[in-house]
Amino acid sequence: MLHLIATYFRLGALNELQYRANFWINLLQSSLSLLSALAGMAVIFYHTDALAGWLPMELLALIGIYFLMSGFINTFVQPSMERFLQDIRLGTLDFVLTKPRDAQLLVSIRRISIWSLLDVLLGLAVLLIALQRLGRGFTLPQILGFVVVLAAGAVIVYSFWLILGTIAFWFVKIENILVIFQSMYQAGRWPVSIYPPALRVLLTFLVPVAFAVTVPAEAIIGRLEWTTLAASLGVALAIFVAARAFWLYGVRHYSGASA
Amino acid sequence: MAPDEADQECPVCVEKLRKVYRVPVREAGVGAALRSLVKRNTKDIAAVNDISFRIEPSEIVGFLGPNGAGKTTTLKMASGLLHPSGGSVRVLGYEPWQRRREFLSQITLVMGNRNQLEWDIPCQDSYDLLAAVYRVPPAQYRQTLEELTNLLELEPLLSKPVRNLSLGERMKCEVAGALLHRPKVLFLDEPTIGLDVTMQRRIRAFLKTYNQRTGATILLTSHYMADVEALCKRVVVIHHGSLLYDGGLSGLVEQFSAYKTIAIDLADGRAGIPAGGWGAYGEVIEEDGGTIKLRVRKQETAAITGRLLADLSIADLTVEDPPIDEVIEKVFASQP
Amino acid sequence: MRNILWVQFKTSLAVNLQYRAANLIWLLGAVLEPLIYLVVWDTVANVQGGSVGGYTRSDFAAYFLAQMVVGRLTFTWIMWEYEYFIRDGTLARRLMRPLHPIWVDVADNLAYKMFIVVVLIPVTILLIFFFQPALQTGWLDLVAFLPALLLAFVLRFCVEWALAMAAFWTTRINAINQVYFVVFLFFSGQLAPLDLLPGFAQTLANVLPFRWMLAFPIEVLLGRLSAQEIVLGCAIQLGWIAVAVAMLLWAWRSGVKQFSAVGS
Repeated sequence: MLHLIATYFRLGALNELQYRANFWINLLQSSLSLLSALAGMAVIFYHTDALAGWLPMELLALIGIYFLMSGFINTFVQPSMERFLQDIRLGTLDFVLTKPRDAQLLVSIRRISIWSLLDVLLGLAVLLIALQRLGRGFTLPQILGFVVVLAAGAVIVYSFWLILGTIAFWFVKIENILVIFQSMYQAGRWPVSIYPPALRVLLTFLVPVAFAVTVPAEAIIGRLEWTTLAASLGVALAIFVAARAFWLYGVRHYSGASA
Repeated sequence: MAPDEADQECPVCVEKLRKVYRVPVREAGVGAALRSLVKRNTKDIAAVNDISFRIEPSEIVGFLGPNGAGKTTTLKMASGLLHPSGGSVRVLGYEPWQRRREFLSQITLVMGNRNQLEWDIPCQDSYDLLAAVYRVPPAQYRQTLEELTNLLELEPLLSKPVRNLSLGERMKCEVAGALLHRPKVLFLDEPTIGLDVTMQRRIRAFLKTYNQRTGATILLTSHYMADVEALCKRVVVIHHGSLLYDGGLSGLVEQFSAYKTIAIDLADGRAGIPAGGWGAYGEVIEEDGGTIKLRVRKQETAAITGRLLADLSIADLTVEDPPIDEVIEKVFASQP
Repeated sequence: MRNILWVQFKTSLAVNLQYRAANLIWLLGAVLEPLIYLVVWDTVANVQGGSVGGYTRSDFAAYFLAQMVVGRLTFTWIMWEYEYFIRDGTLARRLMRPLHPIWVDVADNLAYKMFIVVVLIPVTILLIFFFQPALQTGWLDLVAFLPALLLAFVLRFCVEWALAMAAFWTTRINAINQVYFVVFLFFSGQLAPLDLLPGFAQTLANVLPFRWMLAFPIEVLLGRLSAQEIVLGCAIQLGWIAVAVAMLLWAWRSGVKQFSAVGS
């Protein structure tokens, strides 16, 4: 299985890398995005010293993680999922289903967008700058906690996208179903605690923005609670299993099984 | 559940196969569109209705039928993409819809109007991906690719991305890609659709060679008669989900055609045309100066031929079977 | 010409009905954006003792809810579509009709808005109950709002249609559009009421046309402007529309020349 994943990524990356111009365009776009986020932050902090208990540099760290997670999604998750929706529309999913490999695996690794890794790098740079400005020390448990919830966040985001994509088995006409995540994700630019309770629940358990951005941010600035860590792991496991089950159900439906 | 020994002898075995779809029914117009928001009308359609046939190892069988006949649906049930609503289908001893790894490794699917090769990367890279997916050992991959490259003249195409290839070149690469893992059963859905005549011939010739060399069983759907004539000794005709005919090509004409064609070359050209027209002899299909083609009832062929030879001055006369295309067309047109 | 437009409008309406689920999803994202900014500014106001820069929490609620409505009624998406029109032959087809292609886009745009207004009204009412905005709108303000809104839409449509013309010269549409939207975000009053921007940014906002596409009709609706300011504002809108139309025509003519020379 690892060999298969490595082959797809290697070939996908190599082929995109030959278009050098795309590097500059993507760099421009990512920088513009970051600039916009920073300018927005500047306007806010022109009027206040803290936002819902978050200091400017803490918010900067959050923005760094927002970009990091964006980069991960745009590199590994979004391209494949969009390809999957296209396959259902054009009828080329049949080629995936006649291969002697797990269809979910194939569908998830088919496309990557290598230039979006720039977002990951920019996010990382912003994060490091923010942490350096905060001047707090790091303990090993803190770093481990961060890595764990970040990884859990990635798993949660992937599983959520897969669930959205699986819905396309029933509603082929909803071409933009993936946009549901992207619309809600923009709320992740700010700490989830600022939102009214109803919206907060929505952003935690319905569309997992909180687990993707706010929780890892809390972890790296030293605010992570044990309960949150446990919840993050629990939700990651639960949603991964649920997404898999739903996917298998979707494939059975697609092939006209009566059950 | 391992396949039975007996089943190994039958690469594709279909028994009373059925596939029923529930389809929404709606008329055009905004009013109907709004009404359909509230109440959905559906209809049950049998896309495949009690079809049975048995294919022998290394056979090339053509499935003929107009669009919507049920050929593709049958193919999809045989390749595991669709669950049958009733009846049974076994391919290489497996039940296709279970999509077992061992089963999928031995079959392949080629669809004429759809590509499985990646659009933006060179064909060679797509092949590497396919080899990885099917876990083809490197040495075997190299050898198979070499053979296919020679047979299909792929050398100049391998380094080009699929989007830069012409339709015919694309099809060649698609077919090669589908065979990298040396499947035992090939499902080909309209493989020559949209191709120019030369390329159609190339692909057919290749399939014939491939079948002879590897003994692979080939199931081919098409609405091009030429595909079937070139490749298939055996033809299965499907219409409205039912099996109309299963046997040799010549038998098809025998069974379904009530007519024959008489081709006449008049000795005096235009001048030889009978005064009362051709109505007394038969129906004119073609007329070009002194060359005429008539359609006559099979039973009357001998009698009419005699009369023609007696009444007119004829330089040349031939009795032909009608083109199979026509026969098929009439068969489909006559079934409501 | 009216007949063709009417047919286009009806067709568009039917298509919108077909893709109603997709439309709702787009609407979700569009409604969420001003709500996010509302919540952010609400939080800031809360920390600062109830108001920021002359805006109380209910003022913010009013502003961003108004922004949501005005935004949905004035926006366009044509700058994302044009490269596809050029590539897939839609533009070529439209050029053959005895009607300027812009009118098709107008009909399309209005059909979509007619379609979502049905959903937008209840959503707005719901949000008003939830966020309790401070409304000080008078009857005159409501009357003045309609021309301000219409002019804002015309201005925005012309500018963004001109932007769409960039597709004739480059395929890097995403980058160009992104630049436009980032500038729009700050200088139209989308991120924050323009009064809250730092001084130099406010000056810039007054010189650019974006304010007149979004912030101006909002301020009219909320009753924040005097009669004089409203009249002056509408005049400025008209001025900018003249500039935008000139830009649009120039971009169109050069673009079509380019298109006819090169093909798609």
